[in-house]
Amino acid sequence: MNPSLKLGLIVAIALEVSFAQVWTVNVALIAVSLILMLLNHVSFKRLLYLTLVPLFFSSTLVWSLSLRGSASPHFLLVIFTRLFVYVYMGGLFTQTTEPLTLTRSLEQNAKLPSKFAYGFLAAFNLMPKIRAEVATIKAAAMMRGQVLHFWSPQLYFKVILAAMNWSDQLAAAMTSHGFIEGAPRTHAMTIPLVARDWWLFGGCLLLVQVGLFCGLP
Amino acid sequence: MKRWHIRDIILVTILAIFMGVIFWVIGPLYTVLSAALAPFGLSPLANELLLGIWVMAGPLAGFIIRIPGAATLGELLGAVVEMFLGGIWGASTLISGVVQGFGSELGFIFTGYKRYNWPTLVLTALTTTIVTFTWDLFRSGYAAYHVPFLLLLFAVRFASVFVFGGVLTKLINNLLVRAHVLPNATH
Repeated sequence: MNPSLKLGLIVAIALEVSFAQVWTVNVALIAVSLILMLLNHVSFKRLLYLTLVPLFFSSTLVWSLSLRGSASPHFLLVIFTRLFVYVYMGGLFTQTTEPLTLTRSLEQNAKLPSKFAYGFLAAFNLMPKIRAEVATIKAAAMMRGQVLHFWSPQLYFKVILAAMNWSDQLAAAMTSHGFIEGAPRTHAMTIPLVARDWWLFGGCLLLVQVGLFCGLP
Repeated sequence: MKRWHIRDIILVTILAIFMGVIFWVIGPLYTVLSAALAPFGLSPLANELLLGIWVMAGPLAGFIIRIPGAATLGELLGAVVEMFLGGIWGASTLISGVVQGFGSELGFIFTGYKRYNWPTLVLTALTTTIVTFTWDLFRSGYAAYHVPFLLLLFAVRFASVFVFGGVLTKLINNLLVRAHVLPNATH
Protein backbone atom coordinates (compact mmCIF):
# COMPACT_ATOMS: atom_id res chain seq x y z
CA MET A 1 0.00 0.00 0.00
CA ASN A 2 1.14 3.57 -0.65
CA PRO A 3 3.04 4.80 2.45
CA SER A 4 1.23 8.16 2.73
CA LEU A 5 -2.18 6.53 2.52
CA LYS A 6 -1.10 3.85 4.99
CA LEU A 7 0.00 6.55 7.45
CA GLY A 8 -3.27 8.44 6.94
CA LEU A 9 -5.30 5.29 7.49
CA ILE A 10 -3.48 4.33 10.69
CA VAL A 11 -3.71 7.83 12.17
CA ALA A 12 -7.41 8.07 11.25
CA ILE A 13 -8.22 4.72 12.86
CA ALA A 14 -6.13 5.51 15.97
CA LEU A 15 -7.97 8.82 16.32
CA GLU A 16 -11.39 7.18 16.02
CA VAL A 17 -10.52 4.38 18.40
CA SER A 18 -9.44 6.98 20.98
CA PHE A 19 -12.98 8.29 21.19
CA ALA A 20 -15.03 5.18 20.40
CA GLN A 21 -15.91 2.64 23.09
CA VAL A 22 -16.35 -0.60 21.16
CA TRP A 23 -14.00 -3.30 22.42
CA THR A 24 -14.94 -5.85 19.74
CA VAL A 25 -13.60 -3.52 17.03
CA ASN A 26 -10.42 -3.09 19.08
CA VAL A 27 -9.96 -6.85 19.23
CA ALA A 28 -10.62 -7.16 15.49
CA LEU A 29 -8.01 -4.47 14.76
CA ILE A 30 -5.50 -6.23 17.01
CA ALA A 31 -6.11 -9.55 15.24
CA VAL A 32 -5.79 -8.03 11.75
CA SER A 33 -2.58 -6.17 12.68
CA LEU A 34 -1.13 -9.33 14.22
CA ILE A 35 -1.91 -11.44 11.15
CA LEU A 36 -0.44 -8.80 8.81
CA MET A 37 2.70 -8.55 10.96
CA LEU A 38 3.10 -12.35 10.87
CA LEU A 39 2.65 -12.30 7.08
CA ASN A 40 5.37 -9.65 6.86
CA HIS A 41 7.80 -11.79 8.85
CA VAL A 42 8.12 -9.51 11.87
CA SER A 43 10.51 -11.22 14.28
CA PHE A 44 9.15 -13.15 17.23
CA LYS A 45 11.29 -11.12 19.64
CA ARG A 46 9.76 -7.88 18.40
CA LEU A 47 6.24 -9.31 18.69
CA LEU A 48 6.92 -10.42 22.24
CA TYR A 49 8.18 -6.93 23.07
CA LEU A 50 5.12 -5.37 21.42
CA THR A 51 2.93 -7.56 23.62
CA LEU A 52 4.63 -7.40 27.01
CA VAL A 53 5.07 -3.62 27.19
CA PRO A 54 1.43 -2.70 26.54
CA LEU A 55 0.36 -5.59 28.77
CA PHE A 56 2.22 -3.94 31.64
CA PHE A 57 0.97 -0.41 30.94
CA SER A 58 -2.66 -1.30 30.25
CA SER A 59 -2.75 -3.48 33.37
CA THR A 60 -1.50 -0.63 35.57
CA LEU A 61 -3.89 1.82 33.88
CA VAL A 62 -6.88 -0.47 34.36
CA TRP A 63 -5.83 -1.19 37.94
CA SER A 64 -5.60 2.48 38.87
CA LEU A 65 -8.83 3.29 37.01
CA SER A 66 -10.72 0.69 39.01
CA LEU A 67 -9.07 1.78 42.26
CA ARG A 68 -9.33 5.56 41.89
CA GLY A 69 -12.31 5.92 39.60
CA SER A 70 -15.82 4.76 38.86
CA ALA A 71 -15.28 2.97 35.55
CA SER A 72 -17.58 0.16 34.40
CA PRO A 73 -16.05 -3.23 33.46
CA HIS A 74 -17.01 -2.52 29.84
CA PHE A 75 -15.04 0.74 29.87
CA LEU A 76 -12.03 -0.99 31.46
CA LEU A 77 -12.08 -3.61 28.71
CA VAL A 78 -12.19 -0.84 26.08
CA ILE A 79 -9.20 0.94 27.65
CA PHE A 80 -7.28 -2.32 28.05
CA THR A 81 -7.67 -3.30 24.39
CA ARG A 82 -7.20 0.26 23.12
CA LEU A 83 -3.52 0.40 24.13
CA PHE A 84 -2.91 -2.85 22.24
CA VAL A 85 -4.55 -1.37 19.13
CA TYR A 86 -2.13 1.58 19.22
CA VAL A 87 0.91 -0.61 19.71
CA TYR A 88 0.05 -3.31 17.16
CA MET A 89 -1.01 -0.87 14.44
CA GLY A 90 2.07 1.25 15.09
CA GLY A 91 4.25 -1.85 15.00
CA LEU A 92 2.69 -2.91 11.71
CA PHE A 93 3.40 0.52 10.24
CA THR A 94 7.02 0.93 11.38
CA GLN A 95 7.93 -2.67 10.56
CA THR A 96 6.58 -2.44 7.00
CA THR A 97 7.56 1.14 6.07
CA GLU A 98 10.99 2.61 5.37
CA PRO A 99 11.46 6.24 6.52
CA LEU A 100 13.03 7.04 3.12
CA THR A 101 10.06 5.63 1.18
CA LEU A 102 7.64 7.46 3.47
CA THR A 103 9.41 10.80 2.94
CA ARG A 104 9.50 10.29 -0.83
CA SER A 105 5.85 9.38 -0.84
CA LEU A 106 4.91 12.40 1.30
CA GLU A 107 6.74 14.64 -1.15
CA GLN A 108 5.39 13.08 -4.35
CA ASN A 109 1.91 11.91 -3.35
CA ALA A 110 0.97 14.18 -0.45
CA LYS A 111 2.55 17.32 -1.98
CA LEU A 112 4.79 18.11 0.98
CA PRO A 113 7.11 20.98 -0.11
CA SER A 114 10.45 19.49 -1.18
CA LYS A 115 12.40 21.73 1.22
CA PHE A 116 10.71 19.91 4.11
CA ALA A 117 11.19 16.45 2.59
CA TYR A 118 14.90 16.96 1.92
CA GLY A 119 15.46 18.90 5.13
CA PHE A 120 14.05 16.00 7.16
CA LEU A 121 16.09 13.46 5.20
CA ALA A 122 19.31 15.44 5.65
CA ALA A 123 18.79 15.57 9.41
CA PHE A 124 17.63 11.97 9.76
CA ASN A 125 20.77 10.74 8.09
CA LEU A 126 22.75 12.42 10.88
CA MET A 127 21.11 10.14 13.46
CA PRO A 128 24.24 8.09 14.30
CA LYS A 129 26.32 11.28 14.55
CA ILE A 130 23.73 12.84 16.85
CA ARG A 131 23.78 9.86 19.19
CA ALA A 132 27.57 9.96 19.26
CA GLU A 133 27.50 13.71 19.97
CA VAL A 134 25.35 13.27 23.10
CA ALA A 135 27.78 10.62 24.36
CA THR A 136 30.77 12.87 23.55
CA ILE A 137 29.29 15.86 25.38
CA LYS A 138 28.60 13.75 28.45
CA ALA A 139 32.08 12.21 28.39
CA ALA A 140 33.76 15.59 27.89
CA ALA A 141 31.90 17.00 30.90
CA MET A 142 32.78 13.93 32.95
CA MET A 143 36.50 14.54 32.31
CA ARG A 144 36.09 17.89 34.03
CA GLY A 145 34.29 16.22 36.91
CA GLN A 146 30.88 17.45 35.75
CA VAL A 147 27.99 15.02 35.49
CA LEU A 148 25.33 16.11 33.01
CA HIS A 149 21.79 14.87 33.67
CA PHE A 150 18.72 15.23 31.50
CA TRP A 151 17.77 18.21 33.67
CA SER A 152 21.09 20.07 33.18
CA PRO A 153 20.72 23.17 30.97
CA GLN A 154 24.39 22.82 29.94
CA LEU A 155 23.68 19.51 28.19
CA TYR A 156 20.95 21.09 26.08
CA PHE A 157 23.01 24.21 25.49
CA LYS A 158 25.88 22.22 24.00
CA VAL A 159 23.52 20.03 22.02
CA ILE A 160 21.78 23.08 20.55
CA LEU A 161 25.08 24.69 19.58
CA ALA A 162 26.04 21.50 17.73
CA ALA A 163 22.62 21.39 16.07
CA MET A 164 22.93 25.01 14.89
CA ASN A 165 26.40 24.36 13.55
CA TRP A 166 25.38 21.25 11.65
CA SER A 167 22.22 22.75 10.22
CA ASP A 168 24.23 25.71 8.86
CA GLN A 169 26.72 23.35 7.26
CA LEU A 170 24.11 20.99 5.85
CA ALA A 171 22.05 23.83 4.40
CA ALA A 172 25.18 25.31 2.80
CA ALA A 173 26.13 21.88 1.44
CA MET A 174 22.69 21.38 -0.08
CA THR A 175 22.73 24.83 -1.68
CA SER A 176 26.19 24.21 -3.14
CA HIS A 177 24.90 20.96 -4.63
CA GLY A 178 22.25 22.92 -6.48
CA PHE A 179 19.24 22.54 -4.16
CA ILE A 180 16.90 25.49 -4.66
CA GLU A 181 13.90 25.99 -2.37
CA GLY A 182 10.62 25.87 -4.24
CA ALA A 183 12.21 24.99 -7.61
CA PRO A 184 10.43 22.26 -9.65
CA ARG A 185 12.08 18.85 -9.27
CA THR A 186 12.21 15.57 -11.14
CA HIS A 187 12.34 12.24 -9.30
CA ALA A 188 14.75 9.42 -9.90
CA MET A 189 12.45 7.07 -8.00
CA THR A 190 8.70 7.52 -8.13
CA ILE A 191 6.35 6.12 -5.51
CA PRO A 192 3.21 4.81 -7.24
CA LEU A 193 -0.23 5.84 -6.03
CA VAL A 194 -2.72 3.62 -7.86
CA ALA A 195 -6.48 3.08 -7.72
CA ARG A 196 -5.97 -0.09 -5.68
CA ASP A 197 -4.43 1.99 -2.83
CA TRP A 198 -7.50 4.22 -2.69
CA TRP A 199 -9.88 1.24 -2.73
CA LEU A 200 -7.94 -0.40 0.10
CA PHE A 201 -7.90 2.86 2.06
CA GLY A 202 -11.63 3.49 1.57
CA GLY A 203 -12.55 -0.13 2.21
CA CYS A 204 -10.64 -0.38 5.51
CA LEU A 205 -12.03 2.92 6.74
CA LEU A 206 -15.59 1.91 5.78
CA LEU A 207 -15.21 -1.45 7.53
CA VAL A 208 -14.11 0.28 10.75
CA GLN A 209 -17.09 2.68 10.53
CA VAL A 210 -19.50 -0.23 10.12
CA GLY A 211 -17.92 -1.96 13.10
CA LEU A 212 -18.08 1.15 15.28
CA PHE A 213 -21.63 2.21 14.49
CA CYS A 214 -23.59 -1.00 14.00
CA GLY A 215 -24.13 -1.52 17.73
CA LEU A 216 -21.38 -3.99 18.65
CA PRO A 217 -20.48 -4.08 22.39
CA MET B 1 7.11 37.32 10.14
CA LYS B 2 9.86 34.82 9.29
CA ARG B 3 9.25 31.97 6.88
CA TRP B 4 10.64 28.44 6.85
CA HIS B 5 13.96 27.95 5.11
CA ILE B 6 15.97 24.80 4.61
CA ARG B 7 18.33 25.71 7.47
CA ASP B 8 15.46 26.09 9.96
CA ILE B 9 13.89 22.83 8.80
CA ILE B 10 17.15 20.94 9.29
CA LEU B 11 17.69 22.65 12.66
CA VAL B 12 14.24 21.76 14.02
CA THR B 13 14.68 18.15 12.85
CA ILE B 14 18.14 17.80 14.42
CA LEU B 15 16.78 19.30 17.65
CA ALA B 16 13.91 16.81 17.61
CA ILE B 17 16.34 13.93 17.11
CA PHE B 18 18.56 15.19 19.95
CA MET B 19 15.56 15.37 22.26
CA GLY B 20 14.50 11.93 21.10
CA VAL B 21 17.93 10.53 21.98
CA ILE B 22 18.06 12.23 25.38
CA PHE B 23 14.54 11.06 26.22
CA TRP B 24 15.28 7.58 25.04
CA VAL B 25 17.53 7.33 28.11
CA ILE B 26 14.73 8.11 30.55
CA GLY B 27 12.36 5.51 29.06
CA PRO B 28 13.36 2.90 31.68
CA LEU B 29 12.87 5.51 34.43
CA TYR B 30 9.23 5.84 33.33
CA THR B 31 8.72 2.08 33.44
CA VAL B 32 10.32 1.74 36.87
CA LEU B 33 8.38 4.70 38.23
CA SER B 34 5.05 3.41 37.01
CA ALA B 35 5.81 -0.06 38.32
CA ALA B 36 6.66 1.38 41.73
CA LEU B 37 3.47 3.44 41.85
CA ALA B 38 1.23 0.75 40.34
CA PRO B 39 0.35 -1.20 43.54
CA PHE B 40 -1.22 1.97 44.97
CA GLY B 41 -3.20 2.62 41.81
CA LEU B 42 -1.06 5.70 41.22
CA SER B 43 0.68 4.69 37.99
CA PRO B 44 -0.82 7.61 35.99
CA LEU B 45 1.23 9.86 38.30
CA ALA B 46 4.41 8.51 36.67
CA ASN B 47 3.09 9.76 33.35
CA GLU B 48 2.17 13.13 34.85
CA LEU B 49 5.55 13.55 36.59
CA LEU B 50 7.56 12.92 33.44
CA LEU B 51 5.22 14.47 30.89
CA GLY B 52 7.01 17.79 31.09
CA ILE B 53 10.13 16.17 29.64
CA TRP B 54 8.27 14.68 26.69
CA VAL B 55 6.63 17.99 25.78
CA MET B 56 9.86 20.00 26.11
CA ALA B 57 10.76 19.82 22.42
CA GLY B 58 7.78 22.10 21.67
CA PRO B 59 8.59 25.17 23.77
CA LEU B 60 12.33 24.72 23.15
CA ALA B 61 11.87 24.72 19.36
CA GLY B 62 9.46 27.63 19.69
CA PHE B 63 12.00 29.64 21.69
CA ILE B 64 14.97 28.91 19.46
CA ILE B 65 13.45 29.04 15.99
CA ARG B 66 10.73 31.68 16.53
CA ILE B 67 8.76 30.92 13.38
CA PRO B 68 5.02 30.12 13.51
CA GLY B 69 4.62 26.35 13.61
CA ALA B 70 8.05 25.67 15.15
CA ALA B 71 6.66 24.26 18.40
CA THR B 72 4.19 21.96 16.64
CA LEU B 73 6.74 20.78 14.09
CA GLY B 74 9.43 20.22 16.75
CA GLU B 75 7.14 18.09 18.88
CA LEU B 76 5.67 16.19 15.90
CA LEU B 77 9.16 15.36 14.57
CA GLY B 78 10.19 14.28 18.06
CA ALA B 79 7.29 11.85 17.94
CA VAL B 80 8.32 10.61 14.47
CA VAL B 81 11.86 10.04 15.70
CA GLU B 82 10.58 8.18 18.74
CA MET B 83 8.37 6.03 16.51
CA PHE B 84 11.18 5.01 14.17
CA LEU B 85 13.75 4.61 16.97
CA GLY B 86 11.58 1.77 18.20
CA GLY B 87 9.05 3.53 20.40
CA ILE B 88 6.06 1.27 20.56
CA TRP B 89 3.08 3.61 20.75
CA GLY B 90 2.93 4.01 16.99
CA ALA B 91 0.31 6.22 15.42
CA SER B 92 -0.89 7.40 18.81
CA THR B 93 2.60 8.90 19.37
CA LEU B 94 2.07 11.00 16.26
CA ILE B 95 -1.34 12.20 17.43
CA SER B 96 0.07 12.97 20.90
CA GLY B 97 2.95 14.80 19.22
CA VAL B 98 0.56 17.07 17.34
CA VAL B 99 -1.64 17.58 20.41
CA GLN B 100 1.33 18.44 22.66
CA GLY B 101 3.00 20.60 20.03
CA PHE B 102 -0.20 22.49 19.30
CA GLY B 103 -0.73 22.97 23.04
CA SER B 104 2.64 24.76 23.28
CA GLU B 105 2.01 26.57 20.02
CA LEU B 106 -1.15 28.15 21.45
CA GLY B 107 0.96 29.92 24.05
CA PHE B 108 3.05 31.48 21.29
CA ILE B 109 -0.02 32.28 19.19
CA PHE B 110 -1.60 34.17 22.12
CA THR B 111 1.53 36.32 22.45
CA GLY B 112 1.71 36.88 18.67
CA TYR B 113 5.22 35.34 18.33
CA LYS B 114 6.58 38.63 19.68
CA ARG B 115 7.39 38.14 23.35
CA TYR B 116 9.76 35.42 24.50
CA ASN B 117 9.81 35.88 28.26
CA TRP B 118 8.45 34.42 31.49
CA PRO B 119 4.76 35.21 30.92
CA THR B 120 4.95 33.46 27.54
CA LEU B 121 6.51 30.38 29.17
CA VAL B 122 3.88 30.25 31.89
CA LEU B 123 1.14 30.66 29.29
CA THR B 124 2.71 27.95 27.12
CA ALA B 125 2.91 25.57 30.07
CA LEU B 126 -0.73 26.27 30.88
CA THR B 127 -2.03 25.77 27.33
CA THR B 128 0.07 22.59 26.95
CA THR B 129 -1.34 21.19 30.18
CA ILE B 130 -4.94 22.01 29.32
CA VAL B 131 -4.78 20.68 25.75
CA THR B 132 -2.95 17.44 26.61
CA PHE B 133 -5.12 16.83 29.65
CA THR B 134 -8.29 17.18 27.58
CA TRP B 135 -6.86 14.66 25.14
CA ASP B 136 -6.11 12.21 27.98
CA LEU B 137 -9.64 12.58 29.34
CA PHE B 138 -10.70 10.65 26.24
CA ARG B 139 -7.68 8.63 25.22
CA SER B 140 -6.59 7.23 28.56
CA GLY B 141 -10.05 7.22 30.12
CA TYR B 142 -9.16 9.92 32.66
CA ALA B 143 -12.79 11.05 32.63
CA ALA B 144 -13.62 7.98 34.75
CA TYR B 145 -11.44 9.03 37.70
CA HIS B 146 -12.91 10.61 40.83
CA VAL B 147 -12.66 14.39 40.78
CA PRO B 148 -10.09 14.86 43.62
CA PHE B 149 -7.70 12.38 41.97
CA LEU B 150 -8.25 14.10 38.63
CA LEU B 151 -7.33 17.45 40.17
CA LEU B 152 -4.17 15.91 41.64
CA LEU B 153 -3.20 14.56 38.20
CA PHE B 154 -3.81 17.95 36.64
CA ALA B 155 -1.74 19.78 39.27
CA VAL B 156 1.18 17.35 38.97
CA ARG B 157 1.09 17.60 35.18
CA PHE B 158 1.12 21.38 35.26
CA ALA B 159 4.03 21.38 37.73
CA SER B 160 6.00 18.99 35.52
CA VAL B 161 5.30 20.92 32.31
CA PHE B 162 6.19 24.16 34.08
CA VAL B 163 9.49 22.85 35.45
CA PHE B 164 10.73 21.24 32.23
CA GLY B 165 8.93 23.19 29.51
CA GLY B 166 9.15 26.44 31.50
CA VAL B 167 12.04 26.76 33.94
CA LEU B 168 14.48 24.46 32.16
CA THR B 169 13.63 25.95 28.75
CA LYS B 170 14.18 29.45 30.13
CA LEU B 171 17.56 28.48 31.64
CA ILE B 172 18.67 26.98 28.33
CA ASN B 173 17.41 30.07 26.53
CA ASN B 174 19.37 32.32 28.91
CA LEU B 175 22.58 30.42 28.13
CA LEU B 176 21.94 30.76 24.40
CA VAL B 177 21.19 34.47 24.64
CA ARG B 178 24.36 35.05 26.66
CA ALA B 179 26.33 33.19 23.96
CA HIS B 180 24.74 35.49 21.32
CA VAL B 181 23.60 32.63 19.13
CA LEU B 182 19.94 33.65 18.92
CA PRO B 183 20.01 36.36 16.24
CA ASN B 184 16.56 37.82 16.92
CA ALA B 185 16.51 37.63 20.71
CA THR B 186 16.34 40.81 22.76
CA HIS B 187 16.44 39.52 26.32
